[in-house]
Amino acid sequence: MMKSFFRRIRDAEFLPMSEVRKIKAILVLIFLGLMTAITIPFSIFFLDYSAGMKILFLVVFLVSYALITLFVSLNRIVPSIQISILYTIGLALLYTNGTNEFYAYLFFFISLSVIVFYQELYAYLLYATAVAGLGIYYILTHQASLINTPDIPGVIIIHIVILVVFYFVFLVQILYNEKLYTDMNYDWVKMNQVIDKYQEDIYWFLDEIRKEARVSAIQEDLAYQKVVSELFVFVEKQIRDSGKEFQTLFELYLYLHERDLEKILDSDEISGQLKKTATRLHKYLLNARTELFSLITNFYCRFRPAVPYEPNRYHYRLNDLTNHSDEQVIAIANLYQYLIHEVAGPDEWDQMKRVLSLEEVEELLTGADAEEFLTPTQMAFFRDNEELFREYLAKK
Amino acid sequence: MNRKRSYMFPEIEDYREDLEIQHLRTKNHFVIGLLTVMMIMVFIYMLIADFPLRQTLILMFGFLFVILFNIGNLAYGSENNRFYQLNKYLTTLGVYSLALGILFVFASPAAVIVLFIAYAICAFFQDMRIMFISNLFLLFFAIMIVKGYPEYLFMENPSAENNAGLTLFFIAFILILTITSYIIIKQKQFFYSQIAMSKETEFRNLDLLIDLEKEVTKTAVDTDRYYERTSQFLEAFCRKIGIENLFQEKVSILKKLEKGELTPAMLQNHPQYGKSDWERLEQLRIGGNGKLRKSALKMSHTFNVEVKKREIFSETHFKSFNHQKDSLDIKILAFVLFYAALKRGMPGMPELEEADIRSILTSTDYSYTIDPRVFQIYQKNTDVFASIVDDWLKRRDR
Repeated sequence: MMKSFFRRIRDAEFLPMSEVRKIKAILVLIFLGLMTAITIPFSIFFLDYSAGMKILFLVVFLVSYALITLFVSLNRIVPSIQISILYTIGLALLYTNGTNEFYAYLFFFISLSVIVFYQELYAYLLYATAVAGLGIYYILTHQASLINTPDIPGVIIIHIVILVVFYFVFLVQILYNEKLYTDMNYDWVKMNQVIDKYQEDIYWFLDEIRKEARVSAIQEDLAYQKVVSELFVFVEKQIRDSGKEFQTLFELYLYLHERDLEKILDSDEISGQLKKTATRLHKYLLNARTELFSLITNFYCRFRPAVPYEPNRYHYRLNDLTNHSDEQVIAIANLYQYLIHEVAGPDEWDQMKRVLSLEEVEELLTGADAEEFLTPTQMAFFRDNEELFREYLAKK
Repeated sequence: MNRKRSYMFPEIEDYREDLEIQHLRTKNHFVIGLLTVMMIMVFIYMLIADFPLRQTLILMFGFLFVILFNIGNLAYGSENNRFYQLNKYLTTLGVYSLALGILFVFASPAAVIVLFIAYAICAFFQDMRIMFISNLFLLFFAIMIVKGYPEYLFMENPSAENNAGLTLFFIAFILILTITSYIIIKQKQFFYSQIAMSKETEFRNLDLLIDLEKEVTKTAVDTDRYYERTSQFLEAFCRKIGIENLFQEKVSILKKLEKGELTPAMLQNHPQYGKSDWERLEQLRIGGNGKLRKSALKMSHTFNVEVKKREIFSETHFKSFNHQKDSLDIKILAFVLFYAALKRGMPGMPELEEADIRSILTSTDYSYTIDPRVFQIYQKNTDVFASIVDDWLKRRDR
């Protein structure tokens, strides 16, 4: 289990955010476990509390620790993060109030690092600000334990400044990461939606090729059904020595290809459990652009010939294609014609005949989406000559 | 399973590096900003606290050197990326040297904490090697202070408590900083990989879409008609602004390029154009799989695409066979449907070779899209999987 956990940490770059958050929570749990183990002998020998207080502290820590473990195991990561931060602050308070030694002061920095670890802006603003405030209060009230004899002038101010700078350096880092990742995520989600639209067209063309070849759809091919059935039973038997549920599941899966999901969900004759399964299965259908179709298409694309990588491979902006203004003018003219004359996808009767209207094309070339492809100057060029575009380029 | 995995598309690694370089520049700006603020603060303090002028000047010279070196490397970096790479290593060295300088000049426990700030500044680079170097520096300096300069940590008359506390807390601090940096770096790599993966997927899907459209419609973009209209448009445009038509030559070249006519005669007739000019003009073809056509296709498919705020960071956009809410049965079914479809193929998408499927599934990041239990069974029984499919498909063909 530990081996698998460490492997997951090593491969964290391949895991989705929720998985990484869970890994973070577990790592902090381990860290706090180690710190608590260290705290027990420290509190017995060094910290200046009564025996009753020491026991009370330890009980509170152990209960909190159990709570964090419980939340992590239930996959409730947000409460586990909150409690673990409070736990760390609790440890900082325990040490700083229990001893006048310099090492206790270091715990403020450890607490800040634990909060930084989660990389959550609001948690940082709330808890890290509180820790920095407590740290400053500690510096002001425990000056004797922080000043050497002799020491440099204004050493207390320096302690405060260093703590504040440490706090701000990480705040800047979190703000930068937050902005960067939000922007990247926005681009990523948008790109995925656009890819889905390409794949809707790809599905349509593949279906046309199939119809022309007079071949049955893949899900209707009995050999394919048999293969799926045998593979499923083989895998399931390896995992739990069973395979009995397959028939019902596969029948429902095939049935979903014939009947609309909405009709199934509206039906009173179908049980709630079956409706839930149908909803989950829907993304794996093969008679439309579904998640499964996208996975197959992307995998297949891996084996199609592609031009070698160059740094401008993913540049679609006109300015990145050419910086010569005469070429840009020709390119805009051709771009406009393509948008106005070529098919942009299937129409409402599922015929590959939908073309964009003049208004839609003009919106594309001047609206917010255009910024991804054109510079403000190019957009202005289009606006200034819109009449010419319509007169000479929109005609058949 | 234990080997380090590569990416499904080899291009992902290249684009990730490009992204890294792009963002390294911004990170460097932050580092320069932070160092400048620190320099000003240290300078003001040293003047007020009446430190010897020589010490003040030496420290200021150190700060200025690191900052100017950074600015210089940023300038050269736009010409050659290696300067950015060099810069992050030398800046790390510079930042720790400055921290050490402050430590020795101030000779105070307060200055020890400056080492932590040095670590935080270097963490900005979000780089695994920098993290490693930073850890080594921090550990080395911590040991150096404890052993060689105990007075900086109130350890001249050491109590067992302070000794134990400082050692343990230093270790704990370095440990948590290391874990923090490591996970932040991994998270950054995750985002870069996802962006790179989508970019490459889009690029290849556009190629596939263009090829399928050609196959089904049996027609190509009517480039002759395009350039006819473009010529008329440009004539009218030149008339409108009162200049002679300067576009004719380029239009005629592009028209020929659309027909694949980049012949030696063309090269001879246009000696003013070099290799890069021809490459650039090739990109501007609206027919075939030219870049301009891809831009147009992307543009037309971008129409009406709206991203809602709640969709950002939503994992529903991850396409996989391992959705958390799906039962194990559904996960198995999804994977076997996928595997069998690849082996069977379909009109327009021919079947794939077992070796190709296996290499992607078992040695790239693709394995993370599959439930680990299902993946392990596939990995241990690739031959069984292949023979089940081959057996049935042969029976069908008979």
